[in-house]
Amino acid sequence: MTTHSAFSAHFSRVFSATQCAKRHSHAPPFLLSLVLKMAAGTLYTYPENWRAFKAQIAAQYSGARLKIASTSPAFTFGQTNRSPAFLSNFPLGKVPAYQGDDGFCLFESNAIAHYLSNDAIRGSTPQAAARVLQWVSFADSEIIPPASAWVFPTLGIMQFNKQATEQAKEELKRVLAVLNQHLNTRTFLVGERISLADITVACSLLWPYKQVLEPSFRQPYPNVTRWFVTCVNQPQFKAVLGEVKLCEKMAQFDAKKFAEIQPKKEAPAKKEKVSKEGGKPQQQPQQQEKKEKKKEDKKPVPAEEEMDECEAALAAEPKTKDPFAHLPKSSFVLDEFKRKYSNEDTLNVALPYFNDNFDREGFSIWYAEYRFPEELTMAFMSCNLITGMFQRLDKLRKNAFASVILFGVNNDSCISGIWVFRGQDLAFPLSDDWQIDYESYTWRKLAVDSEECKTMVKEYFAWEGEFKHSLTYMFLRENAKTGIRMHVAAEEGLHIFPPAEL
Amino acid sequence: MALRELSSLEKCLGLKKPNKYGTQGERKVPVLQNNNGAPLVGLVTIASHLVHEAKKTVLLGNSAEERAVVQQWLEYRIARVDNCPKDELKVILKELNHYLEDKVYIAGNVFTLADILMYYGIHRIVVELAIQEKERYLNVTRWFDHIQHYPGVRHHLPPVVVLRNRVYPSGHH
Ligand SMILES: N[C@@H](CCC(=O)N[C@@H](CS)C(=O)NCC(=O)O)C(=O)O
Repeated sequence: MTTHSAFSAHFSRVFSATQCAKRHSHAPPFLLSLVLKMAAGTLYTYPENWRAFKAQIAAQYSGARLKIASTSPAFTFGQTNRSPAFLSNFPLGKVPAYQGDDGFCLFESNAIAHYLSNDAIRGSTPQAAARVLQWVSFADSEIIPPASAWVFPTLGIMQFNKQATEQAKEELKRVLAVLNQHLNTRTFLVGERISLADITVACSLLWPYKQVLEPSFRQPYPNVTRWFVTCVNQPQFKAVLGEVKLCEKMAQFDAKKFAEIQPKKEAPAKKEKVSKEGGKPQQQPQQQEKKEKKKEDKKPVPAEEEMDECEAALAAEPKTKDPFAHLPKSSFVLDEFKRKYSNEDTLNVALPYFNDNFDREGFSIWYAEYRFPEELTMAFMSCNLITGMFQRLDKLRKNAFASVILFGVNNDSCISGIWVFRGQDLAFPLSDDWQIDYESYTWRKLAVDSEECKTMVKEYFAWEGEFKHSLTYMFLRENAKTGIRMHVAAEEGLHIFPPAEL
Repeated sequence: MALRELSSLEKCLGLKKPNKYGTQGERKVPVLQNNNGAPLVGLVTIASHLVHEAKKTVLLGNSAEERAVVQQWLEYRIARVDNCPKDELKVILKELNHYLEDKVYIAGNVFTLADILMYYGIHRIVVELAIQEKERYLNVTRWFDHIQHYPGVRHHLPPVVVLRNRVYPSGHH
């Protein structure tokens, strides 16, 4: 219990479906049962972990609600996963690791992805399910070893060794040939629909396709590339991976990065000999500085001897600079507000706190509305749209708060919300990672002192009220006039589903 | 022919109420009498209208570019595939086979109306192919099999059997 709250403290509010049921007892029961049946929980990982992607994409397909804990304070790789609390749930201390809101814990990325799937992507017959497992195992045992051996040096997280790289290339060619043959007559790996097999194998090939499989290298395997491009462009993949750009030029050993990351583990360097032997990397100018180290690694070096794959991958992550660094410090402590909002009464505690402490210079308040309500169909899909957006905006969490509401019923709904950002401008242009969703919304900055703003903040934070300042209101009235469904929804004080905030 | 296709499309789109269609001219161009306004004429126009009615406009493409490609292939279907003389069918298959080499769907990376209407339009050609020819037009066959298995698409058309493993080793040219 303590473990859980420690890790989830930074999330603005952890919802359980029952809470939701109590609050909106008039909501159609079938929607609620849908929520109850879907897994909901937290995935611990370091950022941009391809193993975690498998689980995240599976969750996109199934509609399982997955929070990602990848940055501090929720999760700090190397610290959180070494803590006794974490180890008692996940004895290996490795990530990805999953903890359900119901306490159910899992490690091993494939198991997590399986758990977060639905039957359609797990394979709905014993044969199909077995084939899915076949490809999942294939990915782990045939693709990952050569892919890592080849790609890691190009990321600067493993020493380059010519022989090892050449061997890995050959192995990967053999694997790609097998896949190419299989996909000659097939659209996806198992059956005629995307399954966990496609998710797993595509994620395993993600680094190679981004980093080293340049056009001439992949040319003999057109079926694999066709399949890969199709997979990573499905909305459910895109929601997790963003835009995947295929490699144009095979990346080479990144000696500079390797040098930057490596020293901690390096034995004291011996300065005398400067060697230039067979395992020499390519033309990286910075490489002189550490020629002296290289003579120690003349033979192929397995990853374990260098640096843990994951520490390394993490270290290789460019340290993203704070997009809000240019702003002066603010007196409004967003995290404190979020804690109040999560744990205490909204109208009596959280809202007064917000009104008393809000810093109008340091923050701004925005009303956002989804531009394509006519394209919203099933509520759970719209729910994915919202939670997917929040996932993609994960790194904005520290500097934003939002309460976004889906109004209406299946095939007749709209989305709108109130957003609070650091700064006076829309935050999204500040980072490439935040560009995916915001253009699908119209954004209106609210005058902090206006009645309108006060009312909307109150209504959207508390999820109740008339909502008559938003276009949503007009939408509701329109439909109330012309159709029965929205009328019912409006009379019930709105059917709000799902409550979701950043 | 076009009328059965439209009725299958209605089902595919999940439209509950079937429309009544007429035809026009000797080519039997389908016509949909609209309550409020001018009649809609032609397969593509009516099909696009049905997609809107079903609120599934994603089927028309997700970006401006994708929408253009969908339209292009809908036109191709009408202009090239329909009324194609028998001796030119092979040309169409060849064109499509080439086009589909690096694609799973006709437009973009997702299933669209172009896939549905192309599948309806080309069915009569594919159903006639011998095994060896199916292997020659491997990309068409693979695409066709995928679309005929797509939930809710097939309806009025009989399934075409597709073999996964080559019978003729050098069927591909
Ligand atoms: N087979 C596992 C591998 C997990 C794994 O190796 N996790 C690494 C990160 S890539 C880790 O958490 N290492 C931390 C440690 O060993 O302390 C899976 O697929 O989940």
